[in-house]
This record gives sequence, structure tokens and C-alpha cells, in this order.
Amino acid sequence: MQINQFNEVISACRFCFMCRHLSAVGLVSCRESDTPRGRALIADRIRMHPEELGNPDFVDTIYRSDLSGANRFHCDGYHDGSGYDEVGLQLALRRDIVEAGFAPESVKAIAAEFQSSENWSIEGSGEVLYFIDPCTAARPDTTAAVAKVLNRAGVPFATIRGGCIGKALAVLGFASEAETAMRKFAAAVNATGIKTLLVSSPAAADALRNDFKTAGVELKPEVRFTAGYFVELAEKGKLRFSTRNFAASYLASDYLKNYLRCDCAEKLLALLGIENRQFGTNPEESFTAGEGALVLARLHPELAKQLAARIAARAEPGIPLITASAYTADLLAAAGADVSTLDEVAAEALC
Amino acid sequence: MQLAKDNYMYQMVRCELVDAVGREFVNSGDADGLGHSIDYYWIPEMWHDRGGAPQRPDFVVHPGSSEEVAKVLKIANQYKIPVTPWGGGSGSQGGALPVYGGIILDMKRMNKVIEIDERTLSVTCETGINAQHLEWAVEKAGYSTMHFPASIACATIGGFLAHRGTGVLSTKYGKIEDMVMSLEVVTPTGEIIHTLPVPRHASGPDLTMLFLGSEGTLGVMTKVTLKIHPIPESRKFHAFLFPDMHTAMTAGAGLMHSRLQPCAIRLYDGPETARLIKRVLGIDRVGAYLVFGFDGPEKIVDLQMERACEICRAAGPKEDLGTESGEAWWRNRYKFFYPPYMFHMPQAFGTLDTVATFSKIEDVYWAMKKTVEENFPEANFIGHFSHWYDWGCMLYARFIFEKAPEDPAEAAALYNRVWDLAIRAAIGAGGVINAHHGVGLRLGRLMQERYGPAMTVLEGVKKQLDPNNIMNPGKLGFKGV
Repeated sequence: MQINQFNEVISACRFCFMCRHLSAVGLVSCRESDTPRGRALIADRIRMHPEELGNPDFVDTIYRSDLSGANRFHCDGYHDGSGYDEVGLQLALRRDIVEAGFAPESVKAIAAEFQSSENWSIEGSGEVLYFIDPCTAARPDTTAAVAKVLNRAGVPFATIRGGCIGKALAVLGFASEAETAMRKFAAAVNATGIKTLLVSSPAAADALRNDFKTAGVELKPEVRFTAGYFVELAEKGKLRFSTRNFAASYLASDYLKNYLRCDCAEKLLALLGIENRQFGTNPEESFTAGEGALVLARLHPELAKQLAARIAARAEPGIPLITASAYTADLLAAAGADVSTLDEVAAEALC
Repeated sequence: MQLAKDNYMYQMVRCELVDAVGREFVNSGDADGLGHSIDYYWIPEMWHDRGGAPQRPDFVVHPGSSEEVAKVLKIANQYKIPVTPWGGGSGSQGGALPVYGGIILDMKRMNKVIEIDERTLSVTCETGINAQHLEWAVEKAGYSTMHFPASIACATIGGFLAHRGTGVLSTKYGKIEDMVMSLEVVTPTGEIIHTLPVPRHASGPDLTMLFLGSEGTLGVMTKVTLKIHPIPESRKFHAFLFPDMHTAMTAGAGLMHSRLQPCAIRLYDGPETARLIKRVLGIDRVGAYLVFGFDGPEKIVDLQMERACEICRAAGPKEDLGTESGEAWWRNRYKFFYPPYMFHMPQAFGTLDTVATFSKIEDVYWAMKKTVEENFPEANFIGHFSHWYDWGCMLYARFIFEKAPEDPAEAAALYNRVWDLAIRAAIGAGGVINAHHGVGLRLGRLMQERYGPAMTVLEGVKKQLDPNNIMNPGKLGFKGV
């Protein structure tokens, strides 16, 4: 089983409570099983009793996780960056569940949809290829904002859209299918000869930078996240932003913070003159409503709504929210929050 | 009543619980049942580790208000179903284990900060709130609870109240029972009561203190008002290495006798200095490590620190480790409890915490150490003294077997034998059963020995409040089902 590669994590987490205060799903469900300890106990039980892998309640719990990485990030802080990869353990559990044929029908349906939608459509031409992932595509304000910024900077760009680059499949536990999707996407991108691949989705950035490398899939262009790219364009004098002079709370992306360890969002906000006021009471929790799990809002819509409602309820009146991902922005907007994406904020600040 | 899932009564009870708190908040799934079958007590961990299945609850119920708690307790009384309150589950004494099945009353949904009173300097909250979340909320308002236990990230405030928990700054700010102003309690029969609004009065016996430390056996504490404090301008630490524990204890007691106001003092014995201080802080020395700190206005902190260092220097330290060593201890104070620094399987380990006066505390230490080492030569015994009072201090002693017997019955027997002998040795030398983790399942059998005839008073209170014995039966030395 895949989980056997994570025996050290299981042993460390199964009786450890030290990060439970950061378990976003656990904080709304209040269930012991929705914490790294709870999930590690399940993994341990399955390690000892493999026949329990198909227990529907165990399977459901493993697919309820928001995979935020906040818990590992916290643990890393006490281990000089070498804490326990409890998200890796959950992904391994999901692979085991899929391989054993125990994936729930809802999971299989989403995976099938992503496998059948890999017809990449490339429009335009230029020095930058902007990848519009399904989540970002569902928020036209963000894609329009990116186009506006690139046009203002005089950067000719093409777009690519139309499918799954493997991240959602990987998150759902369909490892081989994810690798196939990666290879198809890489082939389509590499064929363009474009040197810069631009993404607005932190999950896509993580996939393209980390997952492709791990899978040995060569991607020729340099992968850039929009916020960091915009900062660079401004530094080169190709963009000018007006100083915004207002306070907002940036809800740190799980992928940017916990996986890519990237602070480009904070740099962009500083460049725009936006006072980044700490959200809630602390900088450790994940306030992304399940960004790490990518399709949580489809798998467990009520749970995603609860996560979003918890965040919206903590927003300070008059202080708008800014997110990196369109996924989080859409969920929070539905929960009544005043929210924009980084790309949208940047476009609004153009001189 | 013993509930079985294939019995219609199980469904009858389930329907009533759903009616009380809502369908979403009554869970009987295997995943959550597994999570609630193991707390931080070594015995259920070991049982699970050996492939066994510790007792699971029949229902996990998440009440959202005191009224819902009352409804659940009335249902439990109606059918005589055991109810075990559960906070963060990080208790080390088995106090939250559903040893008879029944209902786990998981309090984490009751997690609201109700009011921060800046004129009184107090916070009122529901008891299911995670302690770190409460601290963060209070800090955002510019204050602190000053309650910083190692389990701050995992435990709920209710868990600390139920077990008389202690934080690392207790020497100045007190144990949790010193921080409480007043309580709301749902009694076992479902009445919602409030204790008096202030902790000092002459209006009869103190009901607040009756419930603190009652470990869910006398009712469910649902709301609490706690003192809060301004965030100090300065907090500084300093460390010394002493040639032996006795000399260091003389220095530590001297700090308390001087009536300075240290916020923390911690003294590690030679073996723990060699083992944990070396591993976590990287200080590789032979001797007894003593660290202390002060907080408040910087000028006062500096004055107190200067006087404290004079006291320590007069006691004959081996080495002045300075400010940096003390600050490193403060920065890493929680690190000791993260894996792999914390003891873990296959080790068998336990914290034999106790408390005694300065005239007895070293006797207690040596009595426990001698008992463990003579009876269990394969075990290591280490200890530190971590919560200091005007009159004495707390001993946080630990035993560690690098490997326990594989057979779970043998492992449990060995484990319990250590506790029986070591705690009896502590009591014989002037200590008590426990200092700040509670009694729970682990030490209940020793309550009668320690209390003697006074135990009948506690049993009388229990019987009066909980006539059907539904609240956490089998814990705190009270009878089981």
C-alpha cells in the first residue's frame, strides 16, 4: 500500500494533538476524525487491518480533508522545516482507496469528467502563455483582469484552456491518470515554443512547478504566478500602479504559503500600497475554504460552505478580503464576503 | 443501559439526541468513534498499537448551547446512559475515555468568546473553545490569558477546568483555578446553574471550586469567566547550571522565599538536563539546569532579574548560562512535546506529576526515583520542577521504558504497577496523587487511599448531584456502571 511509505508520519501523528487548532475542517465539523491525528489513526488502523480500507466512513473522512498544509507548516516550524507530511499521507490513502476500488461514486464521477476534458485550446500568440484553469475560468473577472494587466504592460500573450493538468486527479487519488494528464498538457504547451507559462491558480502553480517535476514530466516554459510576474513587470517599468491607500486582509493561499513558500502575493500588495491587515486572530490557520483540496466544493459542498461561512463571519466590517485563488474568492463571495482576487486588485490599480 | 446498534432502542435514543441537537451533530460513524476511543493516555494508545480496539462511544454528540447540553443530559438520565464530556481529548489520564460506551459529549462546538470586559479585565467564553484560539482572540484585544500550557494548541478551556490544568507562567499568574472568576454548569440532571460572579466572597462555600477538577463527574462546565492581563512590556529569562539538583532547589526556593514575582521557574534534574535539555536546546552539560523569568514593566523586570541572579549566584552555581540560554528555553518551550522529541511508542512512559512543600519536595523526588529504579531497573526516571509557589513546587517526574512488553495485558500490568508504586511513594513522602493532569481512569484507584474517610464526602456530593451515575462513571475514583 502507498501508505506504507508514510509509516513515520503515521507513527508521529497518530497520538499527537499539537496542530489540531489549525485543522480547518475539524474546526467547523468539530469531529476528532477531521484532524491530522484522527486521519493518522485511520491510516494506522488500515495499516494493521487492511480489510478496513473500504470502510465507507473512513473513506468519507479521508475525502473530507481540506489538504491545506497549515498543519505541516506549523509542525515544520518546530522541526527546522522537516516536520511530518500529513497531507502526503492523506494523498497516499486516497491512492490506496482508488487502487483498491473503494473510491466513492462522487469521486469517480469528478475524476471521469476531468479525464475526458483534455482538449487543449490555444488562442492567440505571444511571449507569454496564460493558462486558464477551470476554477479561474469560472471567474471571468479574474481572467479579464489578467488580460488587462498584460495588455497594459504591452506583453503579447496567448491563452490555453480546456482541461485538467492532473492536479485535481492527483488530489482525488488517481495518480496514473494524473500523470497522463500532465504529459498531455506538457506536450501541448511545449509545442507552442513559448518561454513563459503564466497561471493565476496557486494549485496550478504548485502542480506545474512541483508535481510535474516529481512525475518526471518536462515542461519547457518557466512557470510564473501572476502576482510575482506583475511585480516583476512593475520593477522593469512596464507597469505603473496607483497607490491604493486602503486596508484589506489577504487570505494567504495554502499552495503559495505552505507548498511553494512564495511571498509574491504580499509583495504585490505592498507594491499597490494596500495595507495587508492580518485576518482573524492569527496568521497560521488556513482561510481558503478548502483550496488545498481543489474540488472540495464539489465533493462536499455543504462542508465548503461551512468553511466559507466561518471565514466570512470573521471578516472585519469595511475591510475587504483578497484571495489568490478564484476558487476561494467565489466561495467567499457566495458566503456574503466582500472579496477580490489578487489579479482583480492589480487590474483596478493600473494607472 | 447498554446500547447495541442492532437493537431498536439504539435508534430510539438516537432519534431523541437528534431532536435535541440536530442530525448533523449526532455522529456514530467508525472514524469519529476511533478518534474518541483514544486520548493522550498511554493505555488506549498501546491497546490500539497492539491492534486492539479501545472502547468506542455509541454516539458522539456535539451540543451547540448550554440548553442543548441540558437536553442531552436529561435524555441520558431517562435511559441511564453514561455521558463522557470530551474537550480536546489531549488529557493524559484517560479522563475523557468512554469506558462504558454511551454518549461522548464533544464540547468543541461551544467555542464562542462571549465578552471581553476591559473594565474588569476578564473574558467570558464557552468552554469548548480551543485554548490557543481563546488566547489569540484575547491577544487581538490587547490582552493575554497568561495560560500557556504545552497543550495550549490541543486542549479546550473546559479540559483545563476539568483537570485543574497549569500553564508555564503559573508561578506568577496561577493555575487555571486561580484564573477563574465564575462558571456556568449544567448539572447531571440537566439544570443550568451559575456560581457567584466573583471568586472572593463570604457567601458560603465556593461552588466554583467544587466543579473545578471534577473531571466531568459532577456536571458539564459550559461557560467560564476568566481573568485576563495586559500584555507585559517586557519578559526576560536567565539560566544557570547547578552542580546538583539540591543546590538548584535551594536557589529556586530562595527565589520564591524572596517574594520576587517570577513568571516561571523550571528546574531540570541531572538526567533530564542530560537528555532533554541537550536534545531540544543543544546545551550539553552535566548538572541541573535552572531557568527563570520575569515579566512586566521593563525597569521592574530588570530589577527583579538582578536580584534573582544574585540569589542564584549565592547558591553556588556551576555555570551562569546567561540570558540567551534562558531565552532559548522560552522559545522552545513547546518543542519538548512535539514528535520526535516527545516520548512515543514503542516506549512506555508516564508523567508522575505531584506537588509538595519545599520541606518535602526533594524527599518526594528521591522516594519516587528510588521506587522506580529499584523495582523497574530497565526504566529511566527523569524529572523537573515546573510550577512554583510560595510554599513549594510541583514535580514533573517521568518514567520511560524504551520498550514495553508486546502482549497488551502484560504491558498494561507493568504500566499500572509503576504508577501504583510510584504514586504511593510520593504520597508516603508528603506528595499528592497529581498536580495538574488530573486523576481520570489512570489514578482513580488511589483516591480512596489518599483521601481516606474524606472520600465519603466526595462520594456524597457525587451521589447528590448525579443520582443515576451517568456522568463519566468510573473516573476520579467514583464507581463505574
